[in-house]
Amino acid sequence: MKDNIEKRVAGVFLLVLTILVVVAFAAVRNIRRSIASSDWVNHTHAIIIESDAVLSSLHAGEAALRSYLLTGDKRDQGAYRVAFTEMIEHLEVAKALTRQEAAQQQKVLQLEALLVKRVDFTRSVVKSREQDGLEGARQALAADSDGENFAAIKRAVRNLKDEENALLQQRDKDSYLQAQTTHWTVLSGVALNFLLMAFAAWLLRDDLSARRKAATALEEANAQLERKVKERTAELAQANQLLQKENLERRWSNQALEHQLRYSQLIINSISDLVLVVSKALNVSRINPTVVHQTGMPAHEIIGSPLNRVLRLADDDYAGSAVKPEPIATALKEGREIQDWPATLLNKSGQRAAVRFSVIPLRDQDKVVGGVITVRLCPDPAPHPV
Amino acid sequence: MIVTDSRNIPMTKHILTIDDEPDIREMLQQGLTMEGYRVSAVGSADEARRIVREDPPQLIISDLQMEDVDGLVLIEELKQVLPEVPVLLLTGVSFDPEVVRENIRKKVSAYLEKTTSLDRIFGEIRRLIGD
Repeated sequence: MKDNIEKRVAGVFLLVLTILVVVAFAAVRNIRRSIASSDWVNHTHAIIIESDAVLSSLHAGEAALRSYLLTGDKRDQGAYRVAFTEMIEHLEVAKALTRQEAAQQQKVLQLEALLVKRVDFTRSVVKSREQDGLEGARQALAADSDGENFAAIKRAVRNLKDEENALLQQRDKDSYLQAQTTHWTVLSGVALNFLLMAFAAWLLRDDLSARRKAATALEEANAQLERKVKERTAELAQANQLLQKENLERRWSNQALEHQLRYSQLIINSISDLVLVVSKALNVSRINPTVVHQTGMPAHEIIGSPLNRVLRLADDDYAGSAVKPEPIATALKEGREIQDWPATLLNKSGQRAAVRFSVIPLRDQDKVVGGVITVRLCPDPAPHPV
Repeated sequence: MIVTDSRNIPMTKHILTIDDEPDIREMLQQGLTMEGYRVSAVGSADEARRIVREDPPQLIISDLQMEDVDGLVLIEELKQVLPEVPVLLLTGVSFDPEVVRENIRKKVSAYLEKTTSLDRIFGEIRRLIGD
């Protein structure tokens, strides 16, 4: 989008520049043509002026000549000679001016021929006047056949002037057209450039508007992103705090459990009676230190072994006062307690000691999973209760 | 100087915790600080007496069985200095409800076992301290 706008604006400016160059070139060329036309107009006017001057000098010369022929006054002779000399000079100027124009040059040469003829005639008249006096001059003038040559000169001058006037009109027209062309070229170029500049401005305005919108959208997106980051950060902080609390709660719970276990173990370990925990199959699963102390067996030899390894009932080998092992299993199966029954405790060296024991079913919720047997040493074994 | 927590919130309420187990002290201090309280955690009776004198708390939390002193005896001693300050007895010993009702409740504002969740303990603290 941005590249397209820049390319378009650059294209417009390039076009404006091109038009400016073309207009400038056309204007300079037309101005040069106008100058040339103007020169040509001046040139044409000069030829016309010189033609008129030729004719005027001829008239003046003829007038002075006739005065001289009548009076024979030398001043009149000088006057016609001056007039004819000027006429010749004007003719030479006209020839020089028409050197580049063959048709006009030809007309000037025809005029020159007529003038030469007239000058020759004038010489012959003057000669007659000087030789034969006034009568001779009158006869020579009468031979002029009513001034036919003079009329031809005037026609030639008029033709030349008509031709130059026609050229003058044509060149005026050309000059006017060139001026008009220059005028319209410059005007059109300037107008076109204004339009192009307006188009470029419109493009830029559109682009600036799009940029402003994009900047606003970017600012809004940034603000929204910042808000989201803050919200997310707050959420993370909250989640982190919650996690810390949960972690602390878990640590607290664990320490409480460990504390309770330690405390319970301490109480059990402090009991002077023997405490044995058995499964429903009457295998020992846990003991207190008193059991180790009284039997002399290490804990690992007792734990996992049958109960009768350390506690014997009547039917095992202690006749008379002992009980059958089945009553403990039966009591655990039925969830009953046994209180203060006699039995025999065996130590590591095989010595026996009379004890009394109790059994309390070990319950996990409503289900009996084993039993806790407490054994107390007694010196006099009591008979088994029936 | 106003003491603030990590969230830059002023901690105006001061709590004294007395327990000879460092882990318990550290966890209580961390949790109560997160709750926005200023906490003095001590492990002996002498330190507890010094705090009570120099920077009286708005709540005292004490263990029952400590190495150098009986918790209830220490509480009675501290309450002589700060009779209006509530005391929470936080102990690992489970008492019979009747014992709690007849004996312990008369000496402390509240009694909780250490097996109680921290959330509930902090709830009780907020109730006692008036937050």
